[in-house]
Amino acid sequence: MNADKDKYDITIADPDRLIFSRGPGGVFQGIVNGKPYDELIVYRAFPFIYTTQFISIRDAKGEELCIVEDIAELDEESLKEIERELQFRYFLPRVTRVDSVKQKSDLWLWELQTNLGPTRLAMRNLHEHLQFPSGNRIILTDINGKRCEIADWKELDGHSRNQLTDVV
Amino acid sequence: MSIAERLPDPIRAQFEQEPLFSAKSDLRNNGHFGEQWMAFTEQEITLWESDGLQLLKIIMKDLKEARAVNGVGGGTLLADTGQGPVVLARYTAALSSLFGFAAKLLTAIAKGEDRPAVSEKEFPRYCPTCDNPLSEGTQVCPICKNNGKVIARMLKYAKPYKLQMIGAGFLLVLTTLIELIPPYLTKVMIDDVLQPKDMGSTLLMIVAGLGVTSLILTVMQTVRGLIGVWVGSKLMGDLRKDIYSSLMRLSLAFFDRRQTSQFIGRVNSDSEAMRQFMTDGVIWVSGESLRVIAIFVIMFSLDWKLTLFALLPMPFMVIVSMKLWPKIGRRWYQQWRSIFRLNVLVGDSLQGVRVVKAFGQEATEMSRYSEANREVVRHNIRIEGLWQGMFPLFSFIAGLGTLLIWYNGGRSVLQDELQLGTLMALIAYLTMLFGPLQWVSQMINWASNALSAADRVFEIMDTPSEVPDVRDPVPIGKIKGEVAFDKVTYGYEKHHPVIKDINLRVKPGEMIGLVGHSGAGKSTFINMICRFYDTDEGSISIDGVDLRRISQSDLRKQIGVVLQETFLFDGTIAENIAYSKPDATPVDIMRAAKIANAHDFIVRLPDGYDTRVGERGHRLSGGEKQRVSIARAIIHDPRILILDEATASVDTETERQIQEAITRLIEGRTTFAIAHRLSTLRNADRLVVLERGKIVEVGTHEELLERKGAYHKLVEAQQELSKIKGVEG
Repeated sequence: MNADKDKYDITIADPDRLIFSRGPGGVFQGIVNGKPYDELIVYRAFPFIYTTQFISIRDAKGEELCIVEDIAELDEESLKEIERELQFRYFLPRVTRVDSVKQKSDLWLWELQTNLGPTRLAMRNLHEHLQFPSGNRIILTDINGKRCEIADWKELDGHSRNQLTDVV
Repeated sequence: MSIAERLPDPIRAQFEQEPLFSAKSDLRNNGHFGEQWMAFTEQEITLWESDGLQLLKIIMKDLKEARAVNGVGGGTLLADTGQGPVVLARYTAALSSLFGFAAKLLTAIAKGEDRPAVSEKEFPRYCPTCDNPLSEGTQVCPICKNNGKVIARMLKYAKPYKLQMIGAGFLLVLTTLIELIPPYLTKVMIDDVLQPKDMGSTLLMIVAGLGVTSLILTVMQTVRGLIGVWVGSKLMGDLRKDIYSSLMRLSLAFFDRRQTSQFIGRVNSDSEAMRQFMTDGVIWVSGESLRVIAIFVIMFSLDWKLTLFALLPMPFMVIVSMKLWPKIGRRWYQQWRSIFRLNVLVGDSLQGVRVVKAFGQEATEMSRYSEANREVVRHNIRIEGLWQGMFPLFSFIAGLGTLLIWYNGGRSVLQDELQLGTLMALIAYLTMLFGPLQWVSQMINWASNALSAADRVFEIMDTPSEVPDVRDPVPIGKIKGEVAFDKVTYGYEKHHPVIKDINLRVKPGEMIGLVGHSGAGKSTFINMICRFYDTDEGSISIDGVDLRRISQSDLRKQIGVVLQETFLFDGTIAENIAYSKPDATPVDIMRAAKIANAHDFIVRLPDGYDTRVGERGHRLSGGEKQRVSIARAIIHDPRILILDEATASVDTETERQIQEAITRLIEGRTTFAIAHRLSTLRNADRLVVLERGKIVEVGTHEELLERKGAYHKLVEAQQELSKIKGVEG
């Protein structure tokens, strides 16, 4: 009966019993509750609201091992690796500057500077490719599914805000 | 065979032969934007910098498997080697299909299996001239195609009304010219009659002339207006019809991704914006430009030096217009989007109004609405404000020209260099000239609104259907009902297959029960038979003919569906039953209803078969609706029948009645049934157990129970559940 109950309960991990590292092949791995895994997958349960909290740790098959309540409680090395892994898996560069937003015929072209380097997005229209999850946050998705995030468009520099005023 | 993007020369030089596969990834291994190359031959996998520096080498013999692990917005290509997994490439979502294919190819090489064939779809396509992504199924690059084409395409709708439009244009030219007469007559009056104080027949003649011109003007304007209204309404009808039919043509996948109530507004408001531009807009532009030219010719002939003063403000106005043009277009779109969001919100909460009421969330919905509403108001003020600010500015600047003429012209008149009448005529013409100039700003407004509407409309029209009909479909006639799945794989998002590698042969008249947990792919399975979606891999055939080679109308004639969510159209019960066979006789309808166990309850209704159902009509219970929809399937007389949870959410007695009806319905037809309660599938010839998109067991109820596998577990779980229910009850 006990095992059944566990199956339907959320397992919150004890941060002291978690160690994450990166394998020689560049793959995220670690030791969960004393058991080593040479491949681990991270999922954000609330990718928009809690980006560093409630992280679901799963094995290569996708079975959930535990939930990390807050990655800040992990040791330094593990924290660094899980942060990197989250960045890889949730590829969502943060826009630091909007160089230009142009409409050429029926395609909107965005030239952006992000924390992961410069990039360009192309959108067929704005009403299906811009999302406003809350406040001044904007998620941009391009034709091919590439995404970028503007954390708070009112916090950007003047040039960027100018580019955005008639767009958002 | 080589599948390759051209490797940069420094890398290519290091290969002795052409690699099997090479591709550029758009992320570096540290997750930053940048380029990195991957290539492999039969012997080894290598990673490169663009300048030819080798980053990694894996011997093919060490490779056990390769996997494309998709994250959100991007993914990673992993190689499982003897030493554990190794990252081969990181990429954004744009390249998911390419690296997904690479993973399959690598795995096939490692395991010595058949190598997958490459399809066009795997490679992201870019426009050769401007390097922007091309969308699937199109060859035209949206950027290299210019705005002029959108206008030309829009004007095509005016083509059938060419004659009327030309007529209206001709009248316009005439009115324009006639409008120019009165100022000239005034000039004659002042110079030849009033100033010489020469009271002759001239005064009467001129006054009569003025009267006649204004009468002709009125008549012509009326006729032109009527033509405009007629052409406009027709045009708008054509547009709406086209938009709606392109919507109907689109596949289910298009609607899956979008909230459908948005289209109600779009069909109407976008076509209105386009009509306004085409009728009023085009006529105005041509008319006003003509008028401008005519006025200048007259003014120059009256006094060219003074006319030059009038031209002074013009460059300024042109520059301002050019500057504002893109801004206005954007603000129109912005305004449109805020209304769009508002409509989506209303559509949502009205569709779910039961839930809203049940949870007492009216206040939340109202506050959500008022927030969206505030946005609409804000954008409204922005666009209207811009336009209202521009209009007086234009008038004022135009007025400056008049002041210059007054001053210089007045001096000339005082020095007797110019006649008073000519000055008056010049001033009058000048005022007429500024009319059209001010309209420039209105025109900008109209045109940009229409262009952005046209963009959205043509976007819908240009979206290719994901399940296109072949050019010459195979006629299938009356089919036997043999269905075969051959290695079928499909995912709503391509890299997340919901059903995988399905192989199944179904004999004519056989009943197949589909069993599995929710999310196992049962509904997707039957959606594939209806060809709501096309397979990503493999094929489905009916009587040996590939579904894709059968025309969709032929196919749908052979397939009948009874779905979990019974949707009845606004109309009578009889109309709903005869939906797929409008020429059904009343007896046909009653016969079908009788078989469906629906006849009795329908007759007992006060309005019988004429009872209105659907959105506003009589409300039938879930079980009653279900039986009406079964009758609809019976009258359709399909060879292949699909039952999706037909007896979900009804009580036991109703279920028995529906079950009875279904038993009669499936006789002699190939049937695919999904049921919540496994007991309802007892009659199935074979049960197919799906788990995570794969077939895990096939057999009869008894066979599968004996096997004690996945089906056995499902049955046990359900028995457990019914026991609990029994206790609760």
